Amino acid sequence: MLNRRLLKNLDFVAIFVTLLLLAISLVFIGSATHINTPSEDRYWYVQRQGLFTLFNIILVYFTLNFDYKILSRFANALYVINLVMLLAVMFVGHSALGAQRWIQIGPVSLQPSEFSKIIMIIALANMLDHRWGQLRTLREVLPVFVYVGIPFLLVLKQPDLGTSLVFMAILFGMIYVAGINTKILMGIFAAGIAFMPIFWHFLKDYQKMRLLVFLDPNVDPLGSGYHIIQSKIAIGSGMVLGKGLFGGTQSQLNFLPENHTDFIFAVIGEEMGFVGAFLILFLYFILLYRGLKIAGVARDNFGTLLAAGIISMLTFHILVNVGMTAGIMPVTGIPLPFMSYGVSALTTNMLSIGIMLNIYMRRQKILF
Amino acid sequence: MGSASHVTIRKRVTLFFFFVVLVLMGLFGRLVYLQLYRSSWLLENAVYQRVRDIPVEAKRGRILDRNGKELAVSVTSDSVYAIPAEIKNAEQTAAKLAAILNLDPEKLKDKLTKRQAFIWLKRRISAENSRLIQQLNITGIGITQENSRVYPNGSTACHVLGFTGIDSQGLDGVELTFDSTIKGKPGSIIVEYDARGREIPAVQHRYISPQTGNDIYLTIDLVIQQIIERELDKVIIETQAKSASILVMQPYTGEVLALANRPDYDPNRFAEYSPKNWRNGAISNSYEPGSTFKIVTCAAALGENVVKTTDRFFDPGQIEVQKRHIHCWKHGGHGSQSFVEVVQNSCNVGFVNIGLKLGATNFYKYFDLLGLGKVTGIDLPGEAKGLLIPFEKVKLINIATMSIGQSIAVTPLQLINAVCTVANGGEYLRPQIVREIRDKDNRIIKNFDRDVKRHVLAPTVASTLKGVLENVVEKGTGKNAFIPGQHIAGKTGTAQKVDSGGYSPNKYVASFIGFAPAEKPKFVMLVVIDEPVGLYYGGQIAAPVFASAAKDLLQYLKLSQVN
Repeated sequence: MLNRRLLKNLDFVAIFVTLLLLAISLVFIGSATHINTPSEDRYWYVQRQGLFTLFNIILVYFTLNFDYKILSRFANALYVINLVMLLAVMFVGHSALGAQRWIQIGPVSLQPSEFSKIIMIIALANMLDHRWGQLRTLREVLPVFVYVGIPFLLVLKQPDLGTSLVFMAILFGMIYVAGINTKILMGIFAAGIAFMPIFWHFLKDYQKMRLLVFLDPNVDPLGSGYHIIQSKIAIGSGMVLGKGLFGGTQSQLNFLPENHTDFIFAVIGEEMGFVGAFLILFLYFILLYRGLKIAGVARDNFGTLLAAGIISMLTFHILVNVGMTAGIMPVTGIPLPFMSYGVSALTTNMLSIGIMLNIYMRRQKILF
Repeated sequence: MGSASHVTIRKRVTLFFFFVVLVLMGLFGRLVYLQLYRSSWLLENAVYQRVRDIPVEAKRGRILDRNGKELAVSVTSDSVYAIPAEIKNAEQTAAKLAAILNLDPEKLKDKLTKRQAFIWLKRRISAENSRLIQQLNITGIGITQENSRVYPNGSTACHVLGFTGIDSQGLDGVELTFDSTIKGKPGSIIVEYDARGREIPAVQHRYISPQTGNDIYLTIDLVIQQIIERELDKVIIETQAKSASILVMQPYTGEVLALANRPDYDPNRFAEYSPKNWRNGAISNSYEPGSTFKIVTCAAALGENVVKTTDRFFDPGQIEVQKRHIHCWKHGGHGSQSFVEVVQNSCNVGFVNIGLKLGATNFYKYFDLLGLGKVTGIDLPGEAKGLLIPFEKVKLINIATMSIGQSIAVTPLQLINAVCTVANGGEYLRPQIVREIRDKDNRIIKNFDRDVKRHVLAPTVASTLKGVLENVVEKGTGKNAFIPGQHIAGKTGTAQKVDSGGYSPNKYVASFIGFAPAEKPKFVMLVVIDEPVGLYYGGQIAAPVFASAAKDLLQYLKLSQVN
């Protein structure tokens, strides 16, 4: 179990950065919601998120007791549970904001597609570990794509384009680190681009619209383009130093919708300006750097693959979310890790950090 | 797995790291662009989105005559508005207001709960109700002022004053030319909104009170104005003329003391009149001045020294110029006359000879010096330039006819201003309609000093001409303008109107221009009567109008000492 030697090996930089991000998150969720809360209590969202943050910190500490290696034993079971969960959403889930993504358990609405991200990482790490060195031909690579493809399609069906694309990011990040033949990787990319027009037909109208307004938000400034325009205005009007905490006019006055979840970065950009936004990006940089360092020093391939998957996921989230609020990525409903309000995403991200810490803590091969 | 594979992992993780750095750099670049490069534009957008302001009309300044008598004033009445987002208890508020304003409480409540930034509840309410509502002191209910323009003297001086439109904007006259200084600065009711049109909590709407406009003091003297208005009314009845204008100016300052036209209109109800009545004929109509223009011919001839008062002219009854015969108005002609007598008799043949002696170059030089063929620059809208044959195209016959005031068209204002130049001893001034502008606290903001454009005549020449013109009233065609005991100088004019290409046989413009006292005039007055029925000679119908007005004017000026 946990002993002094293991605790001494913890990645304190990653812990510090994560805790800092979580603290900043609570402040800005407060700023974004204290005027527009549905309940009497102005800081309902902050309290709720704060409570779950504490719960997750304890949860992460608890998981550190177990060697991450045991995850490989549950990998296949988790994969199956994931499929069941995603199917369950289709039948018993309730929809919000036009998509069926939620399951109500007691007072908490869970978003299974959030958890399926971490499950996907674990399952895929296990699979690639077993096929180590066997990603040389298309025939060897194909099963991996089928393995990810099934949950990918289920999530896409919900519809949750954002999460399904996260699966793709995880897949490509991990398969790359697992040593796939780069020629095959390029070929798959090329094929993916070639099939883009066909993929387009599978999109829902609102998804198509989102992509179109991404190219030109003024096509529909009060409809689909509204988010992008408002978010850009919020960030840009923050200028160098911002309008001050709780002083953002765009975010406080509801011009910016979803400001505490998907668009929290715009609130930061507006209230803390360029300096604040830059600081957040810098914190992410440190975290991602630590993650890849962990991938490099992991004691086994399974650990390397887990870390690579987690970093793929986080990087993709940051890119798409910040890019979306800054108007260079389409609106896909992907939250900003450790920042956006949301219990499911928070738990997923915290568990991911837990796994990273676990790998780093146990990086030294047992020599005794 | 061999060690090679381990190197591969290392390499790939490193490349992965570079990819992550690339992604973050991209985002960083975007932030630089948005927050540093495009930020001011986006900030403007942010402000524009959330602030809405409802303009509050400023109270328009007054227009007064030179002695401070009100000619145009703004009457304010209060109007009640609501900012629905600020209303806490719509039902209660509606009930309270309905009782005072005598409105249906249900309808009022609907208005108070409208998803609208701003709404009028009732406009132009009584002062008493306004006070009661202010006493209630309900958040979200406000009182603002709205104006209506009142011209207490009705149609008097309407063409000088002009009128204002529904939004209190000047549309004609001084109301138009001085609109920017008279209208004041509108205030506003500023409300900040969130995206749902709800007002921001804790911030109350701001009321920025409007600034009252400045007062305009005209050069017009209401008493003189009323005298000429009276004379115009009389002459229109007596002569059944189509239209008529009288202008009175102070020759030494260039100030217009009175200006009136018929037909006229009541600026309080301007919309009920035909736009023809709005026309300020005294400055907008060009007409052939006829014999009154002979003053210009005289000024040029004396100024250029081509004639002396003692020169003699012979009038056989007609003169041939370029194979065309110009007749004198007196059948058989005036025979032999001195220059003074030529003017006294308004002898056409004599004037044609003077004009021909003067020549085109000299004649046009004086047109230019006396401001003919171009606007005088008075601060009133719609001034005409008159018509002048271009110098390059002018023929001898034109010089001949222009000498007697034909083949040239001037506005009444151009003519009187040219005669003012003679009357004041030779200085050409820009005519003025406004004396000064004062702010609402009666501080002078702008003074309109006399605006001397150029010296046209030597004082001695002007003095000689004044003597010649005094003789016209004493002994000549202007006898009807004579007032016993006064030195009046002047000139009559009777011009046939041009009608579809030729001179009309029975349409005339009768006019008289004169000043008094002749040597050092206190005023110059021009009377123009367009298409009188029956008698049509300027000496018969315009000169008596001048005399009648001038008699009262001289008496008034003696008492009041207009400076």
